[in-house]
Amino acid sequence: MSAADFDREWHLGELFDATMLARVGPPLAELLDGDLAILDRNGELLWGLAAPDARREALVLELEPAGFLASSAASQVRLHAAGRMFTALLRAEARYRMASALHLEAVTQDFETLKLEHVRLLASEARYRKLSEELEARVKAQVADLEARQQMLYQAEKFASVGQLAAGMAHEINNPLGFVSSNLGTFKLYLDKFTALRDRLAEGEAAWHNLDLDFVLEDGVDLLADCSSGLGRIARIVADLKSFSHVDRPPEERADLNACLQHAVSVAGNPLPAGVALRTELHPLPPLSCNPGHLNQVFFSLIRNGMQAIQDAGRPGAVCIDSAADASGITIRIADNGVGMSPAQLERAFEPFYTTRSVGAGTGLGLSTARNIVLAHHGRIAIDSTPGAGTTVSLFFPNTP
Amino acid sequence: MPDQDATSLSFKLVYYGPAQSGKTTNLLRLHDLLSPELKGEVMTMETKDDRTLFFDLLPLGFRAPSGLLIKLRLFTVPGQVAHDGTRKAVLSRADGIVFVADSDSAQETNNGEAFQSMADNCHRVGLDFEHIPLVVQFNKRDLPSAVPEAEVRERWEAAPWPLCFAVALRGEGVASTFEALLRALYRHHAEALGLAREHGISENAFVAGMLGQTGTPA
Repeated sequence: MSAADFDREWHLGELFDATMLARVGPPLAELLDGDLAILDRNGELLWGLAAPDARREALVLELEPAGFLASSAASQVRLHAAGRMFTALLRAEARYRMASALHLEAVTQDFETLKLEHVRLLASEARYRKLSEELEARVKAQVADLEARQQMLYQAEKFASVGQLAAGMAHEINNPLGFVSSNLGTFKLYLDKFTALRDRLAEGEAAWHNLDLDFVLEDGVDLLADCSSGLGRIARIVADLKSFSHVDRPPEERADLNACLQHAVSVAGNPLPAGVALRTELHPLPPLSCNPGHLNQVFFSLIRNGMQAIQDAGRPGAVCIDSAADASGITIRIADNGVGMSPAQLERAFEPFYTTRSVGAGTGLGLSTARNIVLAHHGRIAIDSTPGAGTTVSLFFPNTP
Repeated sequence: MPDQDATSLSFKLVYYGPAQSGKTTNLLRLHDLLSPELKGEVMTMETKDDRTLFFDLLPLGFRAPSGLLIKLRLFTVPGQVAHDGTRKAVLSRADGIVFVADSDSAQETNNGEAFQSMADNCHRVGLDFEHIPLVVQFNKRDLPSAVPEAEVRERWEAAPWPLCFAVALRGEGVASTFEALLRALYRHHAEALGLAREHGISENAFVAGMLGQTGTPA
């Protein structure tokens, strides 16, 4: 038991200090005929003067004396009465001291409990902090992974577009190549006829008629004209492709979006599927600072979507492309009267990887990519659609200084 | 460990239990029933609506043949949940415990929680709960809603502590509970303190001295 414990046995010396004794002693001494000493439990004098023969009155708080009153003058009865009174004072003081000591201990206990709790909370906080760091790291890793995959899919979409383009182009180029090649073969046969004429010059004009060279000459010229026009077509396709991909231009430049639209129309419309018409209504536009290669991709992809929507509807239709400018910027609309989209499809249209086409037929990145490109140009893209009636995609590009 | 000096030995005993299970009543009845050589007044610290806020204290004592003064100081803890800090402080340095449970079947949860808090608090104030002398008293046996004795005994069968049954208000079972604790206390400390060897006190003499009976108690 330490000196601070509330449940120790208290003694007079610690309950009443000198000041208190100086206050209580004199009146009590007067009651005891002027002769009083106050002693601690071990007989040590605390107040007054004690004669060696003085009578002692024990002051008991619990079981044993906590102190004594001593007097030689006072009668035993009076000393006993004074002792009872003094004990009552001591008891009141002891109760007060015990209660406050206990209170202090309880508060300390509660404080210790709080400190323990605090330590526990700190530990748990540290645990959660560590957990949250781990989670953050894992989220970062997964985001990086997702970004890598998304990049791959964007790439795949690009390749798919390129593949589709390449297939169309191959068809378009093969066609003139076929007849130019065939024409040149025929032309070689015609030249053979002239070789034969050289051997039959002796026959004169009869040989010319005989070899039907009037027709050969006339048809030869036609053949060459056909070849020339075929090659012209190939040259135009190559030129379109070049300007479409912008292989030989810087990425950001001031461009006329009408030119981009025309390129996209000419690339998408080669070949034009049966029952699909492309109409343009282009109004003069101010030049826009942009990446024409990317915008071409957007326009191509939107026009292709429109064409597919018409094919999906299973009836003839048209994709109408119009452009207009006002003070705030450039508005471009690509509208088709194809199958249209349901509200549910419309809601998810811009979601990456969302596609209504069968697996492998579409990556679901066309509109998502288009939107990213438009956003990169500080523009807006919106879709209006009525199922069975068609879809209109509106693009807006704010004027650039 | 009890407080010891050359002339005296002091044990601290604590009555623990849920609110209003009858801890203070146990002390008041013991004061009336016991007549040891030395018996102090019950010191009741501040109460509010008859509920203990701090503690009650009853000092008892007798002198061994060797002249050693053996003192017991019986404390009660405040039962109300809010005073847990005070409860821990009162429980500190205890040499023995009486757990006063309320027999009312509606109080079973409170009993359980109080017992658990006692075990927890013992650990917190550094008492060896596994070995400290402990007696469990089921008080208020006279309640119509009291859990039957057989059921209580069955439930506590596996527990190592003596079980007592009491109606503290009528003074029934109060002394026998105290006696059970005295015996556990003696057995726990007699050897280390040389009670029999040095001071000539047997277990029965120890019990008799504290209860204030001459001869062997029943």
